Amino acid sequence: MKKHIYILAAFFGLGVGMSHAQVQKGSVLIKNATVLTVTKGNLESSDVLVQNGVITQIGKNLSAPAGVSAIDATGKYLMPGIIDAHSHVGLDVVNEASAPITSEVRMKDVVNPQDLGIYRALAGGVTVSHAMHGSANVVGGQNATLKHRWGSEDPADIIMQEAPRTIKFALGENPTRVHGRGNGIQPRSRMGVEAVIRNGFNEAIQYKKAWEKYTLAKAQKGNTVTPPAYSERLQTLADILDGKIIIHCHSYRADEIYMLINVIKDFKIKKVVFQHTNEGFKVAPEIAEYTMGASVFADWWAYKMEVYYSTAYNAAILQKNGAITSINSDSAELIRHLYHEAGKTQRYGGLTDEEALAMITLNPAKQLGIEDKVGSIEVGKQADLVIFEGHPLSSYAVPQMTFVDGVKYFDRKADKDDQRLSVAATEMVEPIFLRANEEAHRCMQDVDKYFEAFQGAFAKEKH
Amino acid sequence: MNKQFLKAGMLGLLVAGWLSQAALAQSDPSGKRRVTSTYAITNATVFKAPGDPGSKATILIKDGVILGVGTALTLPKEAKVIAGDSLYVYPGFIDGAGTMGITKPKDVERPKDFVSSNPPDEVAGITPWRMATDSYSAASTQVDDWRKAGFTMSQVVPDGGMLPGKTAIVLLGEPKTNNFLKVNTAVAANFRSSRGMYPATLAGVMSKFRDVYQNTALVIEHERIFAANSGVKRPQASPTHTAFMPVVQKQLPVLFTAGSELEIRRALALQKELGFKLVLTGLENYASVIDVIKSSGTPVLIKLQVPDDKSIKSQKADGVTEATKAQYARVKESYDQALKLAAQLEKKGILFGFSTADAKAADVQKTLKAMISNGLSEKAALAALTTNPAAILGISGMAGTLEKGKLANLVVTTDTLFNEDTQIKHVIADGYVFDYEVKKKAVKAEAASPKPEAAPNTVTVEGLWEYTSETPAGSSGGEITLKRENGVLGGSITYDDPSGSGKASAPIKNASLTGKTLSFEFDVAAGGMSLTVTISGEINGKNMEGALSVPQMGSFPVKATLSSPSQAN
Repeated sequence: MKKHIYILAAFFGLGVGMSHAQVQKGSVLIKNATVLTVTKGNLESSDVLVQNGVITQIGKNLSAPAGVSAIDATGKYLMPGIIDAHSHVGLDVVNEASAPITSEVRMKDVVNPQDLGIYRALAGGVTVSHAMHGSANVVGGQNATLKHRWGSEDPADIIMQEAPRTIKFALGENPTRVHGRGNGIQPRSRMGVEAVIRNGFNEAIQYKKAWEKYTLAKAQKGNTVTPPAYSERLQTLADILDGKIIIHCHSYRADEIYMLINVIKDFKIKKVVFQHTNEGFKVAPEIAEYTMGASVFADWWAYKMEVYYSTAYNAAILQKNGAITSINSDSAELIRHLYHEAGKTQRYGGLTDEEALAMITLNPAKQLGIEDKVGSIEVGKQADLVIFEGHPLSSYAVPQMTFVDGVKYFDRKADKDDQRLSVAATEMVEPIFLRANEEAHRCMQDVDKYFEAFQGAFAKEKH
Repeated sequence: MNKQFLKAGMLGLLVAGWLSQAALAQSDPSGKRRVTSTYAITNATVFKAPGDPGSKATILIKDGVILGVGTALTLPKEAKVIAGDSLYVYPGFIDGAGTMGITKPKDVERPKDFVSSNPPDEVAGITPWRMATDSYSAASTQVDDWRKAGFTMSQVVPDGGMLPGKTAIVLLGEPKTNNFLKVNTAVAANFRSSRGMYPATLAGVMSKFRDVYQNTALVIEHERIFAANSGVKRPQASPTHTAFMPVVQKQLPVLFTAGSELEIRRALALQKELGFKLVLTGLENYASVIDVIKSSGTPVLIKLQVPDDKSIKSQKADGVTEATKAQYARVKESYDQALKLAAQLEKKGILFGFSTADAKAADVQKTLKAMISNGLSEKAALAALTTNPAAILGISGMAGTLEKGKLANLVVTTDTLFNEDTQIKHVIADGYVFDYEVKKKAVKAEAASPKPEAAPNTVTVEGLWEYTSETPAGSSGGEITLKRENGVLGGSITYDDPSGSGKASAPIKNASLTGKTLSFEFDVAAGGMSLTVTISGEINGKNMEGALSVPQMGSFPVKATLSSPSQAN
């Protein structure tokens, strides 16, 4: 049907509304790889056939249909595309830090498909990232789940449109510092954080009722009920209460994690994932029972007071207690070697290969609500795949090729020096320094800028 | 104060006022009042509209209106004749969106109960009720500059935050008259966030825009219910909602400033989501979104400026690595592409005009020539200056072409418009004639004439220099006094005091003269901070040209002239 419209339009010489360029889907046959399916064990010397962006066949001695090219992966490993459940690459703005609740803010509005961080992530085998709002607010903005289709011009083309909505929450030192200490408003303490969340949800309940009343009355003839004010902020909170949005909550301490579990129990919310969760090991059974798990660092802590009581065994303890556990980056640098980070759960906790790989594939997919589409190599799933030289959990692993929807976006052998998608006409070319960006950790990005407008020094921690 | 004295003073003022009024009523001691408002440009080559090949005709205008264009016009006695035999006449240029003559309103004082998470609209840059007419000065030198470049009308855009106010179409005529042709022509918008309060980022601005739009729609609905029924809670529209209603009711377009590809996509996304009328302005980088603009059907106003070629010129031919050369090539490619953008709009059939905002009036000819030599047709260039903006602004019936009954806005040139040596001799705006000095062609043999100062290898630097500098805040200048004491170059500089009016002075530091290049520094105290400003330039005879650079702000062109050289040297 759609095709006909395009043909007709072309015939009449009309411009077609192509503001959403079609997302590219590829077909490819990857042969003779050690296939790490994550859900169905490892398949030696096996082939994976991808047609039109979807895995259609897994087996031995598959032949490529006409027009489908084959890649020989003999001696190499094939794993599902890595999924980072906590990232800020591909975003022009991270924090709308100006209010304790900014649930109306959408990261989808500020996606920048030209961010080089996307390509670097692809070079580390990452095909999906969760582009999150920062942690300056108790309730931050709505996040975007990105598919790393490098080279897209339209931001809409790198947003995984079929992924469910998610939102950022933040507990502890960041929101209390920004709002309580910085602005002299609630929340100034952890108690205040809880109050902001509870008050927000209660207001959202009132908001929803007011709109239901108005919508009902509006249908009647001679209606005299006037519309309530519109608030996307409260509507979004109401959507959380209705189970339409997954909360991803920045948290460190066990007491505040347990606090939020109590809040969601009171408001009958089921969809919560804890982020960072350094003291998650203390409340692992509770996290397992009431939430969608925790997304943690492998071994990163002590960058502020609330992050001192930490252990590299955190992920393994959570996993053994039955909590869905993923390992994330929250960093444009760490995102390039999440397979190393996953490997650390074997050194600290003795997880199996499959458990460790699930930490960066299937488990984050579950936490983002996309496990039916990505996160493992199975027939019917989207063909987000990485070919590794060496086992991905080995210290010597090097990603060779990365595919999203069957399209190859990274190839180590065809890696251009200059990957920038656009260059300013007035750029003064300066010598290049190969140095990691010191501001790579962006959880508190835009907050400094926000603060320096009316107060001088601001704390340096950014997570 | 002595009351008697005060009264006497008041009386004096009154008498003076009465006298001056009486004087005006009888004669014009200033000698500036024009003797007639009827003009005829006779036997000129007239281009009535874009695409017109031009033909000899006489144009008669009166009281700001074109009375006729033709070869058999009867000229009334009072018509002042401008002999047009060697001249070329075009419709006056129209600026689709500009900021000439606009000053930014003062920041509103924050209320005592100010909370940065929920600031009053006015403090947060949400002021759609403000009118460009309130912050426009027809006497601004910017208006003079753009008129001199051929512009006779401009849609002026108020300065401010994300929703700064409503635009107005002004005539660039006699500054003392009322020059507003149409007020409240569009609601201006941009992605400018508020500093230190909500909305503090682009993400907040997008959300706030939706909020203003949706709540305005609800206020309209509330008012409808209130008008149709009794016993209904009274509506309480805020000034923001009241001022935004014409947008929701699709009576006024939103004039969205969007310079880059992503900004253009974001403005179009908001438009698609909410459904308002949209005009995009200030477009600079839009290579990848031309098809997107085309399919959205949105009219656009591109910035009347091409990128400067400083980076291209600074590229070195030798002594650079292959990697650097590859980077050079990408910048060059991007630069070449930027020059071709206007031509691509023409090719795609997109309705476009120009915006003078953030552009330089002195560069207009250069900019247009660059666009034309990169594929834009002269017809399309003239259309983008005249009929296209007239169509976008909804004033095609009165402006954009030279026809009987249209506004008397004309540009009179010495040759065809886009010719290399063409100069503008007269601009007629709102029926007022502005004359410009036409320079003789630059004498190429200038170098041959001997210059007393230009003795080889001696550069005169000591003495009193007068300098001017172009900064985003406008043109500024002062004096530089340079002298050598014990072989060390030093002195002082005056500059516009940043804390108010008048001049401030600072000692010159680290001055050096290497070959013809003079450079020095001085400190400026601004807002409790001290900035070190560097001036560096090349001296040629009595003139110096170079750059003034301010840390974190950038560098700006500076020119200086040695007005009185020191004798002792």
